[in-house]
Formats: sequence, C-alpha cells, structure tokens
Amino acid sequence: MTDLALEMSGVSKKYRYFTLDKVDLKLPRGQIMGLIGANGAGKSTTIRILMGLVHQDAGEVRVLGHSMPAEQVAAKWDIGFASEDMRLYDAMTLGWHMNFIRSIYSSWDASYAQLLLKRFGLRADHKIKGLSHGQRVKSALLLVLARKPKLLVLDEPTTGLDPIARHEILRELTEVMANEDRSVLFSSHNTQDVEQISDHITFIDRGRVIDSMDKEAYLDRWRRLRLEVPLGIDLPALPGVIGVHQRGRLAVATANAFVPDLANAYESTGARVQCVENMTLEEIFVANVAHSREEVEV
Amino acid sequence: MNGSIIAHLALKDWRLNRLLIVLTVAVGLVALLLAQFGGLALVLGGIWFFVALCVLGSMLPASTIVNERKKQTLAFIMSLPVSSIQYTIAKMLSIWALFLVPWLTLLIFALVLIANGHVVPHGSVPMLLMLAMLPLIAFCLMFSTALVGESEGWLIAASIVCNSSYWLGWFLLIRIPSLAANLKAPVAVWNAPAITVLCAELGLIALITGLTLFFQSRKRDFI
Repeated sequence: MTDLALEMSGVSKKYRYFTLDKVDLKLPRGQIMGLIGANGAGKSTTIRILMGLVHQDAGEVRVLGHSMPAEQVAAKWDIGFASEDMRLYDAMTLGWHMNFIRSIYSSWDASYAQLLLKRFGLRADHKIKGLSHGQRVKSALLLVLARKPKLLVLDEPTTGLDPIARHEILRELTEVMANEDRSVLFSSHNTQDVEQISDHITFIDRGRVIDSMDKEAYLDRWRRLRLEVPLGIDLPALPGVIGVHQRGRLAVATANAFVPDLANAYESTGARVQCVENMTLEEIFVANVAHSREEVEV
Repeated sequence: MNGSIIAHLALKDWRLNRLLIVLTVAVGLVALLLAQFGGLALVLGGIWFFVALCVLGSMLPASTIVNERKKQTLAFIMSLPVSSIQYTIAKMLSIWALFLVPWLTLLIFALVLIANGHVVPHGSVPMLLMLAMLPLIAFCLMFSTALVGESEGWLIAASIVCNSSYWLGWFLLIRIPSLAANLKAPVAVWNAPAITVLCAELGLIALITGLTLFFQSRKRDFI
C-alpha cells in the first residue's frame, strides 16, 4: 500500500479561458492538506480531476492507490466528497438521504450518524428545502462523514457559513482526524479556516501550484522586517527576500526564507531593523501570490 | 459493496418521480374511459391520451436530468462510486422504466377497451400502436438530448422539435393508403406497411439510444 493518499504529477487541463498547468501535489496518508487559492485559481478543477469528474489532458493522478480517472469507481468507495456547490434533493428529507447513502455503503455508521445529527442540530425528518445554507452544508457533511471514508475531499465547505456553523464544521473535521489513517484535502479561499486545521498547505494561483509545504514551515520561514533606511543608502537584494517596499526612510522587506542573519545583513548596510514580525497565513498567501505573478510577468 | 450502484441510482429516480407517473396514468385512464362515449368524447379522450404521454415524455428528462444539473444534485450523485457511463446506464434504465410503465399501462388499457367495446373498430389497433410509438420516439430523443447536451436550452429545443412534429407523424401515417384502408376493418390487419413502420420506429429508438451511449462514453468532463 502506498503512503500517499493522493498524488498528482504534471497534471494539465486546458479550457478556453483557463489552464491548469503541470500541477504536482502529494498528500501523505493521515494528513490534512489545505488548498488555498483565490476564486478561479484552479482549486475546483484540481479537485474535480482528483475525483475523476474531469479528465486531465496530461499527467498522472493516483488517489488511494487508484489511477484516475480510469479507476474512479474503486477509488470513490473510500472518498468522501463535499463541495460548496453540491446540493441534496430539495423535496426529500435528510433521513431519506441517510437511508440512500446507507443502502450503498456498508461502512455507514448509524450511531455516528445519530451523533452527528445531534452535534449539528439537525433533524432527520426535515426536508432539505426547509434548511438554511449552514444546515444544508452540515447535512452534506454528515452524509460524507458517517460512511467513514479514508479520504475526505472538501471543496470550499465553509464558504458562506456563519461563524458558529464554521466552527462546528471545523471542530468536527479536527475530531475526524483523530483517526490517523484518514486524510483530508480541504480547499478554501479563507486562510483562517485552512490554518486552523491543516498540517500541510498548498497555494494555487492562475492554474499553477506556487508553493506547497508544512504549515509550520510557512510560519517559520516567512517574516516581515520593518527597516529605517538613512538617506543615501540603497538596500541590497538579499537572498530569501522576495520584495522590498520603501517609502521615504521607511521600508518593509518580506522574506520567504528568513534566517536571523538576514537582520544582521540589513544592519551591516547601515539600515536599522525596527522589528521582525511574524506573518499570518493570509499575509503569506497574498505575498506569495503577488511574488508569483511578478515572476510570471517578468 | 451493497448491491449494484446502478440499481440504487435507478431506484432513487423512481422514488423521486413516482407522483408524476401516478398522475400520468390517472389522466390517461380518464381520457380512455371518456373515449368510450364515442363522438366528440372519443376525439377529446384520444387527444388527452396522447397529450398525457407527450407531457410525460417532456417532463421526465427535465426533472431527472436537467434539474439534476440545474439544482446541483449531480455533484452529490457523482461523488458516489459511479462512473459517467454507469450514471448514463442508470439514467437510461430508470427513465425508460418510468416512461414505459405508464405508456404500456395506458396502451394495454386502450387495447382492452377496443377489444371489449364497440366504439373503436379493431382495425384501428395497428394505427394506434404506430401512433403510440411517436411519443416514445419523442421521449427517447428528448431524453438523449438532455443527457448529451447537458443543458435546459438543448432540451427545450428538442421539445419544440418533437412537440411540433407529432401532427406531421400522424398526418403521414394516416396518408399511407394501405394503412388508412384498414382503419375501419372489423379485425386488426398486420400488413407489410404496418410492420415496416413499426420496425422503422423501433430502429429509430435503437439508433438514438446507441448514439447516446456513444457520445456519453466519449465525454471527458462530466461536471
């Protein structure tokens, strides 16, 4: 058995106005990967290719050891997929959907389903058309979680949810991960949600993976240095610094490979380092995207 | 695996559309009973009988295929362990059964009424079968267009073409002299033109179905 829950190598897909360009992605079993990108960055296309719903033009995709899309049926027995644009049947009750899924999956855990009903504040006899957006998302997630999939693929599941519903869903996902064999791919443009639950983070922009590493590595390596630059001193281009924005005597340098010596290097030029700040994942994402776009344009 | 996924999907469509089937059968039965009074009631009953089947033929592809895309329930179904071709087969099985059950029920009921009544001559039975095949062909075309075209626009276009072509089919069939001559015969006459027309209608259905499977199997993007 492979140690990877999913693996994409050199995956490309060309549409008229959008191209997914040689995407490489690896998710080890038992980990949660957050896939962060702006709207239209290619998150949903990547996930649809992973699910076998869209066929890649080039490249290899393996999910739970199965080649996609050829072996999608075998793979999907162990994948739980929910997306922001997925809807249940309006005219039917949640209980009807639960029975439908239970009739298909022998792995359906009825007692866990009842527990989730209680935790999410749902009722099985409620028709889907009477549910709020948050309740619908929770219902879809209940149907996915209660069949205990080995891999959860969640495409923007928290989009449009109120803070309470988001918290409940993220808490449940964190608990699900108590099972070390379970893996999650979680896409979102909300960096806070991803930061809260992910081990590994991948940034995607304009159809390209621009960075992918452990969450802690991002937070360790990215720093913002606030500098005071005396007149007549030009700041040099230093390794590990991806951008410097200077206005008058004040400058801000963004580093994507910060080491303590970097501050010394600036001091040695005559600049004064006012402070070295940690960056939030959102700031890292924005800086990363801006840097990537600058590189492409150059 | 708990049973065949295709059977589960087909049963799901049955559960979601059974009210439509019950209503169609009810309207069709009332129409056929009305036709037993003869005269204007026969004309009205005959029209309602065909209209019930035509409406069902248009509504089934809309409610089971187009709405699944429009209301975004397709992603839910395709998250299950099913391939696009298995989805297509499940749809074909369920929708064909959903149409054939009322179609056959009403057709058999009509034949029983003709056999036991005195209003409609037995010689009209071959024509009744040939005419009843038209809503079946139209349903087949609309269903295939909805499945392959994946849009409401394509289904509406197919629906317009089919619904405006019924009169042409009726007109052409009734104008075939060897068929028209036997309409009032005391017994059903299964002559070569009648058999040829029925075979051509069945062949057309087989061709549309085959093309649907062919196009579906070549699709690279399903959602």
